[in-house]
Amino acid sequence: MTTTSTAPPARAVPRGQQRRGSIRARERRLGIMFALPATLLFLAVLAYPIFENIRTTFFSVDLLTGRTEYVGLANLRELASDETLRSTVGRTLLWTVACLAGQLALGLLAAILIDQSWKGMRWIRQLLLLPYVVPVIASALIWTWMLDGSYGILGSGLQSLGVVPDGTSPLGMESASLWTVIVINVWRGFPFAMLVFWAALQGIDQQQYEAAKVDGAGPLREFWSITLPNLRGAVIALVALRGIWTLMYFELIWLTTRGGPVNSSDIVPTYIYKIVMGEFRLGYAAAIATVTGLTLFALAAVVMVARKVRRAA
Amino acid sequence: MSATTTAGSTLTTTASRVWRVAALALIVLFACGPIVWMVLSSFRPPAELFQDPPQVLPRGWTGQWYDEVFASSDVLRWFANSFTVSVATTLVAVTIGTLAAYALTRFDFPGRRTLLGSLVVAYLFPSILLLVPVYLLLSALGLVGNLSGLVVAHLATTLPLAIWLMKSFVESVPRELEEAALVDGCGQLRAFALVTVPLLRTGLATTALFVFILSWDEYLFASVLTQGDTMTVPVAIAGYVTSFDIRWGAIMALGTLVTLPIVVIFSLLQRLFEKGITSGSVKG
Repeated sequence: MTTTSTAPPARAVPRGQQRRGSIRARERRLGIMFALPATLLFLAVLAYPIFENIRTTFFSVDLLTGRTEYVGLANLRELASDETLRSTVGRTLLWTVACLAGQLALGLLAAILIDQSWKGMRWIRQLLLLPYVVPVIASALIWTWMLDGSYGILGSGLQSLGVVPDGTSPLGMESASLWTVIVINVWRGFPFAMLVFWAALQGIDQQQYEAAKVDGAGPLREFWSITLPNLRGAVIALVALRGIWTLMYFELIWLTTRGGPVNSSDIVPTYIYKIVMGEFRLGYAAAIATVTGLTLFALAAVVMVARKVRRAA
Repeated sequence: MSATTTAGSTLTTTASRVWRVAALALIVLFACGPIVWMVLSSFRPPAELFQDPPQVLPRGWTGQWYDEVFASSDVLRWFANSFTVSVATTLVAVTIGTLAAYALTRFDFPGRRTLLGSLVVAYLFPSILLLVPVYLLLSALGLVGNLSGLVVAHLATTLPLAIWLMKSFVESVPRELEEAALVDGCGQLRAFALVTVPLLRTGLATTALFVFILSWDEYLFASVLTQGDTMTVPVAIAGYVTSFDIRWGAIMALGTLVTLPIVVIFSLLQRLFEKGITSGSVKG
C-alpha cells in the first residue's frame, strides 16, 4: 500500500515482468473467490438434483413410508409401454409448435405496428407488454372466468355464436381444451416475441429500404426480401429459447385445466406433476424426467453441431 | 402526372395509417381486455357478476370483494410469505449472481469455462424436470413446508438468469476505471465495491426486477414445498378456486392484488425491462 505513492509508470514494466506469475495466481484466487458461492449453489440445486434424478430413475420411492427400493429398469420399461405418455408427447409437440407459431406471428405483427415514431408509442408498448408481466396465476384465472360456461363474457359469447354448446366452457371440452390453452399462451407469450422482433427491426439498415424503393419494390416485396431475412437471428433465438420453455411450461395448463378434461390438454410437464403429486410415484416421474431431459439435451446437441457444420461449410 | 402520383401516395399512406391504427387497436384490446375485465370484475356487485347473459358495462360498483379478501387474516399472511420469499430470493440471487458475473468477465480461473457452460444449461433447464430431486433433497433437509426451502428452489431457477444478465452489464463497465482505482492503491475488492458496483446500478435494478417477478410468479415449486401457513399467493389463490364454491368476485380481487405490485414495478422500470429481455435472449 505505501509503495503506491511512488510514481508507478517508472517501474511498471520491470515489475510487471517480475510479477506476472503472481498476478496470474492472484487473478485465479480472486476468480475462484468471486465465483465460489454461485458454483456451490449450482452444485447443490442443479448438478446434484440432476444426478439424484437419474439415480431415482432406477428406484421405486414410496412417499408415504419414505421407503426406496431398487427396481432396475422397471420404470423405464413402464415408460416404454405407457400409452398415455405416448399421446401426451404428441400433444406436447402440437402445443409447442402451435404456441410458437402464434406467438411469433402475432409478435412480429405487433412489432411492425409499434415500429413507428408516433406520439405515445411508449405507452402502447407498455400496454402490449402487460400480458407477459401479469402473474400466471392471475392470467389463468382471468381466462377461466372469461370463458366460464354460465357467467363468462367470452363463454356466453361463444355459446350465442353456436361455437360451444350452452352452459359449457371451451376449457371443459375434450375437443377444445388444448386449443383454448394454446390461445391463452399465445396471449401471454406474444409480447416477448414482439420485443425481440422490435429490437431486431431497429437494427435494420434503413438504406436497404431506400435502395429497394429506388428499385420499385412494393411493401410486400420489401417485407419478404429485406425485413424477414434481417429477422433470421431473432427467429432462431426465439424458437430455441421459447421452444424449450414452451415444451416444458407447466403452470398455465395446470392452473386452467389441470390437463383435463380426461387427458385432453395434458402435456409432459403436467403429466409428470400428476404422477408426483397425485400418484406419489417419484421413481416413475423421475424416469420420465430423465428421458425428457436427455431428449432435450440430444436435440440441443444436434442443433449446435448442425450450426457448427453449416458455419464451417 | 406528378400531381396525381403524390395525391395517390398520400392517399395510400393515409389508408395504410388507418389500417395500422385499427390493427394496433385490435391487438391492444386483445392484450389488455382480459386484464381490464379482471379489474372491472373485482369491483362488480354479485348481482351483476352472476348475470346470464353477462353485461359488458358495469352499472354499479362495490368494494365488498376487497373487504372480504382483507377481512381474512390469511390473505395478509400469503402476501407476507410471497413478499418474504421474493425479496430473499432477489437479494441472494443478485448478490451471488453479480459476484459470479464479475469473476466470469474479469478473471481467468480454473473451472471458468465449465461454469460458463453450466450457466447456459442451467438457464435453459426446465424446472419441472427438477421437481422430484429438489423435493427429495429439501425433504431430507427438513425444509419442506418452510419458506427458506422455497427460496433455495427459486434460486435454482433465478440464479442462472441473474448471472447471465449481470454478465452483460459487467462487460459494459470499462476495465480502465478499475485499473485506475487499483493504481491509486485500492485492493481488488475495494475497487470492485467502490468503482464497479456503483456503475452497475442499472444492471442491478434490471436483474432484481426480473428475479423478483420470477419468484413472485412461481407456482410449481411453491405448490409442492409450501402448505397451510407458508403458502405463497399463487398457491393460495389456486387453492381458493377449488376448495370453495367459485367466488369469482373475491378471486378477481385477489388476482388484481397479486398483479398490482408487478405492474407498478414494471411501469417504473419499463426501459430496463425491455433492455433485459432483448439482451437476455438475443445475445445468447
